Amino acid sequence: MLSKITVSPAPHISQPLSTRRVMLDVIIGLAFPVAAALWFFRQYAEIVLVASVASCLVGEWICNWIRKKPNSLGDLSAVVTGIILALSLPPMAPWWVAVIGGLFAMMIVKMPFGGLGYNIFNPAMASRVFLTACFGVLMTTWTVPATMKDEGLKIVSASNTQAVTQATTLGWSKMILKGQKDAAEINPLIKLSFLGDEGGCLGETSALAILLGGLYMLIRKTITWRIPFAVLISAAVVAAIGWLIKPAAYVSPVIHIVGGGMMLCAFFIATDPVTSPLTVKGEWIFGVGVGVLIMLIRLLGEYPEGVMYAVLIMNALTPLIDRFCRLIPAGGKPQCPIV
Amino acid sequence: METRAKATFPGGVHPPEGKQYSQDRPIEVVPTPKQVTVLLSQHLGAPCKALVNKKDAVKAGQKIGSSDAFVSAAIHSPVDGTVKDIVLAPHPVLGRTMGVVIDTAPQSEPKKPCADKFDLKFSPEQWPTEKICQAIKEAGIVGMGGAGFPARVKIEPNPAMPKEVLIVNGCECEPFLTCDYRMMLEWTWQILAGIRLAAKASDVEKVRIGIEDNKPEAIEIFSQAIQSCTDLDIQVVPVKTKYPQGGERQLIQAIWNKTVPTNNIPPTIGVVVINVATAAAIAEAVVLGQPLTHRVVSVTGRAIAKPGNYYCPVGMSVQEVINHCGGLNESAAKVVMGGPMMGFAIADLSTPLTKTSGGLTFLTRAEVTEAKFKHQQTACIRCGRCLSACPENLNPTRIAHAVKHNNLDLAQQYFMSGCIECGACSYVCPAHIELTGYIKTGKLLVARTKKKA
Repeated sequence: MLSKITVSPAPHISQPLSTRRVMLDVIIGLAFPVAAALWFFRQYAEIVLVASVASCLVGEWICNWIRKKPNSLGDLSAVVTGIILALSLPPMAPWWVAVIGGLFAMMIVKMPFGGLGYNIFNPAMASRVFLTACFGVLMTTWTVPATMKDEGLKIVSASNTQAVTQATTLGWSKMILKGQKDAAEINPLIKLSFLGDEGGCLGETSALAILLGGLYMLIRKTITWRIPFAVLISAAVVAAIGWLIKPAAYVSPVIHIVGGGMMLCAFFIATDPVTSPLTVKGEWIFGVGVGVLIMLIRLLGEYPEGVMYAVLIMNALTPLIDRFCRLIPAGGKPQCPIV
Repeated sequence: METRAKATFPGGVHPPEGKQYSQDRPIEVVPTPKQVTVLLSQHLGAPCKALVNKKDAVKAGQKIGSSDAFVSAAIHSPVDGTVKDIVLAPHPVLGRTMGVVIDTAPQSEPKKPCADKFDLKFSPEQWPTEKICQAIKEAGIVGMGGAGFPARVKIEPNPAMPKEVLIVNGCECEPFLTCDYRMMLEWTWQILAGIRLAAKASDVEKVRIGIEDNKPEAIEIFSQAIQSCTDLDIQVVPVKTKYPQGGERQLIQAIWNKTVPTNNIPPTIGVVVINVATAAAIAEAVVLGQPLTHRVVSVTGRAIAKPGNYYCPVGMSVQEVINHCGGLNESAAKVVMGGPMMGFAIADLSTPLTKTSGGLTFLTRAEVTEAKFKHQQTACIRCGRCLSACPENLNPTRIAHAVKHNNLDLAQQYFMSGCIECGACSYVCPAHIELTGYIKTGKLLVARTKKKA
């Protein structure tokens, strides 16, 4: 009998929760935008998703093998990275672009730092930046969804209803800023943008699906509401300022919230626990930072979209934010530190 | 009655209560074991020196250990018998300490609880303050909720820190344990007598009894009972069922809405907290002159045949308790002295009960969970669950990792000393990191360095 009894520090029971379960919840949350991507982009989405997830798994496995570490694929974090990377790629991205992205995310951004929990940058976003730098044209060619009807095509591409590619809403917004279009043309796209019936990255188009996935994760307490809330509100405020000052040049804040990678970022990318701050105050600073940076890049920068850069910049600041947002114990700072 | 319903504190966790195994079992007296090992260190503070020698005959209630130190508590023999030896014996917390092994005299009757000696007519008038304090000291009473802080030190009037309120801790927030609950139901008048004596000795006007709202019967019975105390401002305060509601700092926050400064003790803000079991022991010591030699122990968990609440002599070995309770079943994976959140896992079943052992929890492998059983800890994913669970608003993962990497200075910068070791952080950690274990280790290392210096 005695041989079967173990000892360990208290507590002796634990919540039925594991890292694997946390990651599984993120995957279930991601299932909504994945389903939307499959619905809107059909076989293109399939190819990119499979290539990206598979290459992430292989990348992690190779790193573990080289370092002679136990296999860590079971924690499912590589699958999460793979899905997020795929959702942030354009639908027509060739399979080998996704594979390069997946391998880069794992073998350069995540594993050399020590694997899950130790990486400084969000692997999917860092990898996307790398891909944008390498394959600029491929990464900015947007296919119209397979579901798009003629009337939708008329709006997005008045000159040629047979177009297979189009500018994204944010691309249009940029053209407006440069005086090539009028904001009034874009603002009616809100509904299409919310449902996802528009051009854009695989998982970014449907704000509705992302909201549902985010809601699931909030209910499961996989993420806190603070970061998504801070990102969306701060971005909306910055967008609203621009819109109020010059409605002809800046599109409505609603377009900015539902368009591009804003929603995916708020619920699935900025909430990555590993690369975001620990404390409540830190979460607010991080969320507001991401939201404001996205909007500054969108409104004032050269790029139409700024999610990946905003996230990476705030990732880099995370250790600093954590250091400045020290918690004060419930009983206040001790008078003499050591008793 | 003006109380804030569901008073509580920020943070905390909701582990499964597990009270169903033993909450409906009345307190039962166990037969006197053939041998007891009374440890000489059962409290916070200086260990006692043995007052008896090998082969001495001892009587039940005879003082067998004492110390001159201020923070210490005397030790008494729970049985009639002969001292067999004074040896190193397994201690649930300290590893091995000196203990007095006593062979029980044949056919000695077990001591019975004395709750029937108290009723609603009790009044503390005939006992002056000095007499109460003296009796508490002589009886070797310690805080029976778990910490084992000598009760006299807490209760004695201290001109430097006048006390304003006495908070009685009937929360029993620790999962599985039911000893306090059964005492509150069965020994109501004895506990109330102890409360009144303690209030008189501490010179407080106000008494608050905190009971978690998952024990409505206890709240009801005490609300009725306190109506006999017309001379005292006494109230029962139902508090929210949440772990660690029974931590004294958390209970003060909930009931008195005051925060005990970090690294300080409740008397600095004029509060004294005692456990219901301690109150019962005080009544017994002052009124009946009996020292603290027995206590109610919850024997519980899925791995024991007959769970229940047993009135056991201090010094009885865990093995004897198991034998009395029908033995362990096959699925037993962990024997915990105390409850599953703060108790100490023991490997040696000859470990004796101490004054602070409120329970013995026998957990199965399924309850311990596979990851904990195999000690699998994965990397911290910085999810922050430990931060929101911490009732003291600390950063457990930072402290634990500082200790892990032997950076005690950093751990102290993150206020390691403010940790109350409740275990909430380890409980919620999805990576199953032994955060509390690391923090406890860190505190020990700091204490050791200071000793050397």
